[in-house]
Amino acid sequence: MILLKAMKKLFLIGLSLYLSLTPLSGHNQSPADRHQPHDFQASKAMVVAAHPLAVKAGVEILRQGGNAIDAAIATAAALNAAEPFASGIGGGGFMVIYLAQEKKVTVINFRERAPAAAQPTMFHLAGRLQPKWRRTHGLAVAVPGALAGWNYALQKYGTLSLQKVFQPAIKIAETGFPVSSTFSSINKDEYDKLLEMDGENSCYLNQGFPFEPGDLFRNPALAKTLRLVAKKGIKFFYKGELAQKIVQAVQKKGGIMTLEDLASYQPLEVKPLRGTYKDYEIWTIPLPGSGGLHIIQLLSIFENLPLKKWGYLSPNYIHYFAEALRFIFADRARYLGDPEFIKIPVAQLISKKYAQKLIAKINPKKVAESYPSTDFSPPRHSNETTGNTTHLCVVDEQGNIVSLTQSINHFFGSGIVPEGTGFLLNNHMDDFSRNPNSPNAPGSRRHPLSSMGPLILFHQGKPFLVLGSPGGTRIFSSLTQIILNIVEFGLGLDEAIEAPRFFSYSLKGEVRPLFVEKRIPASVLDKLQQMGHKISLRQAYDKYFGGAQGILILPAGQGLRGGADSRRDGFGGGY
Amino acid sequence: MPQQSFKKSNLRLSLLFLGSVLILGLISTTYSQSNLPKFSPPVLITSAGQSAEVQLAAVIAKRAGVDATLVKMATPDNLGENKTLILVLGASLKGLGAAGLDMNEEINRVKTLLAACESRNIPIICLHLGGQSRRGELSDKIINLFLPQADLALVVRSGNQDELFTKICQTNNIPLILLDRPSQAVVNFKEIFQLNSPLP
Repeated sequence: MILLKAMKKLFLIGLSLYLSLTPLSGHNQSPADRHQPHDFQASKAMVVAAHPLAVKAGVEILRQGGNAIDAAIATAAALNAAEPFASGIGGGGFMVIYLAQEKKVTVINFRERAPAAAQPTMFHLAGRLQPKWRRTHGLAVAVPGALAGWNYALQKYGTLSLQKVFQPAIKIAETGFPVSSTFSSINKDEYDKLLEMDGENSCYLNQGFPFEPGDLFRNPALAKTLRLVAKKGIKFFYKGELAQKIVQAVQKKGGIMTLEDLASYQPLEVKPLRGTYKDYEIWTIPLPGSGGLHIIQLLSIFENLPLKKWGYLSPNYIHYFAEALRFIFADRARYLGDPEFIKIPVAQLISKKYAQKLIAKINPKKVAESYPSTDFSPPRHSNETTGNTTHLCVVDEQGNIVSLTQSINHFFGSGIVPEGTGFLLNNHMDDFSRNPNSPNAPGSRRHPLSSMGPLILFHQGKPFLVLGSPGGTRIFSSLTQIILNIVEFGLGLDEAIEAPRFFSYSLKGEVRPLFVEKRIPASVLDKLQQMGHKISLRQAYDKYFGGAQGILILPAGQGLRGGADSRRDGFGGGY
Repeated sequence: MPQQSFKKSNLRLSLLFLGSVLILGLISTTYSQSNLPKFSPPVLITSAGQSAEVQLAAVIAKRAGVDATLVKMATPDNLGENKTLILVLGASLKGLGAAGLDMNEEINRVKTLLAACESRNIPIICLHLGGQSRRGELSDKIINLFLPQADLALVVRSGNQDELFTKICQTNNIPLILLDRPSQAVVNFKEIFQLNSPLP
C-alpha cells in the first residue's frame, strides 16, 4: 500500500514536471541559471506569467481559438492554483485591454472594496491603532473582486465560457505540481500566519509544516471550488454557498463583511489613464490604481534629464530617481485615494509642468532635507503599502492585448481560507491609510488605494511593450526602471527586467533609505552615500522589488519577445 | 531451469545483503543517537534573526511532547525555570522589520541571553530549519556567532551544502544532526528529551 502510494506520488511529480517543462515553442526553454537574461520568443501569440503552468494554461486556450482575454482569464485562474500565495479568487486587481480591431484601450477595475460597515477608525481600539487587525484578522479582508472582474471581461470581450477557461486551473489544482524554492521560501516566511489563521491542517501546509522544494502541492478543495463556480456561475461565489462560507470565515476572525457586501460587488469598466514619454504613449490604469499615475510622473521627470549622458546605473541617475520618488511619495500621501469618493488633482499630478516643478526641487549634489508635498489644495494624509501580487501579459494572433495585475495583497493574504474551499482571502484593507483623516481612510464600499500599474506602451501609434509587476509600492519604481532600461539604455526586454533595481520613498516628509540590490557596483553606492543617501542593501535578486513580466512587440512580422522575472518563477510561452 | 535457480539464489543473496545493510544502518543510527546528549524540559524557544522557522521549532516541540514556551525576542528574564534553550538560527529582514529590530540589536539580545544561559548552566540546542533559502550574509553572521556555543545542532541538510555547519560543529566538538526536512526533528526531540510518546 505504502509502495503504491509512493509510486503514485512519484508519478504525479513526474507528470507535473513534464507538464511544467514541456516546451511551449522552440525557443522557450529557460536557461540553467534562472537569473541569466532570456527572452522567450514567439511569432504570433504569447503569454508571460509568474508560473510555467499558468503560462501553459493561457497558451492552451490561445491554441484552442480563444482570444487574449480568454487566455488572460485562463492564466489568471491558473495562477490561483499554481501561485496561490500571490493572487486568486479571494482577491482582486486591474486589467488593461487593447482591442486591435477597434484600436481601443479599456480598463477593468476589479479591485476589492471595503465592506459597507467600514469606517475610518475601524482599526482603532480605544483610540489606538491595532496594526494586526489590518493584516491578520477578519477586518483585514476586503470584498473580493477577481471572479466578478474575470467574468465581466470574458462576457464583454472574450469568446469562451468561464467553464472552458477554468479547465486548466482545475487540472493544476487537482493534479498538483512540485513546489519551487520560491513557493517554499514564501511558505516558510508566512508559516506563522497560516498556523494562526488556518491551523496545522491548512491546505497550504504539508501536514502542518511548510512545503519543501520538490514536495507535491495539490489543492483538491480549490479544484472543487473552481469546478462549482464554472458550473454554477459566479453567483455561487457572490450570492450562494460560497458567499456564506466567506462571510462565516471572515466574521469568525472578527471581520465585518456581510452577504450583502458580496452580493452587491460590481467590477467597473473605466477609461484608461494616458501619458507620454518622448514619442511613446503610456496607457495604464487610473486611480485607485496609483502605479500608472506614478509611472507617468516619473517618466515625465526623466524626459527632461540627460539619462544617456549620465549612463545606466550611474550615481546621478539613481540619485535623481530616488529623490523624485521621495517627492512623489509626499504628494501621494497627501492626495491619493478612491476617485469615486474624493476629488483628486490627477491632471495636475501627471502634467509636464508638475514634472518640471519636481525637477527644480531636486538638488543634483545631495539628498534633500525634507520632502514637502506640492500644494494643489486637498487635505493631507499618510499611506503605506506593502504588497505581493502577480502580473501576466497576453498578446494574441489578432494583436489583442491584456496586461493584468491581480493580488491578495501580502503573500498568503490574510491567511484565512473559507472552510473547505481551498482559496485564500485577501488582506487588502491594509492598503487603506492608518490615518482616519486621510482621503484614503477606510470607508463604506471604498476601494483601497493600490500601487498596481499594468500598462501598454505604444510607440508611433502601435503597441510596443506590455508590462506590469507585483511589489507593493516598488511597482511603479521598478516598472519605470524597466521602461528606461529599454528605451534609454538599450537593454533587451529580459535584460531590462533582470537588471539591478533600487527604490526609495519619503514618509511624513522625511527621507527613507535607498534600497538597492547588492549587484549595484560598490563604487556607485559610495558616490550615493557621499550625496547623503543611506544605503540599505537587499539580496542580489530580491522579490521585494517585484516580479515583472513583459512582452515586447517587434515591428511587423518580427514576432514577440517575452521577459519573465527570475525574482519569482516567471515564465513565457507562445507560438 | 538451472538459470532460474541461479537467478533465485542471486536474488536471495541480494536480499540477504540488503537486509544486512539495513540492519547495520539501523544499529549504527541507534548507536549514534543513543550517544547524543540528553536535555531536560521545560524549554524556552527563541529566535536568532527573527526568521519564521522559530514557529516551526515550537510545532516540532509540541508534536514531540516537549514542554516548551516560545518567546521570539526572549531576554534573560524569560529563562525562568527553563532547563534548556532552543535557539533557532536564521535572519529574516521581514521578521526583523516586524519586530522593530535591526541586526545589531538582535545580535546584542541573543548575546545577552546566551551569557545568561552560560551563567545558569542552561544547555543550548541550535536549530537551522530554513535550508538553503535561509542562508546568506545575515544568516551566516548569526550562524558563525552563535552556533559555536551550542551543545547540539539540528540542521536541515540543504542549508549545509557548503558544510558550514559541519565545519563549525567539528571545530567546536558539537554533535550535529542533519535532517532531510524539519518534521524529522520530532523524532530527534523525543530522543534527546527522552520522551517515549508524544502528548495526545
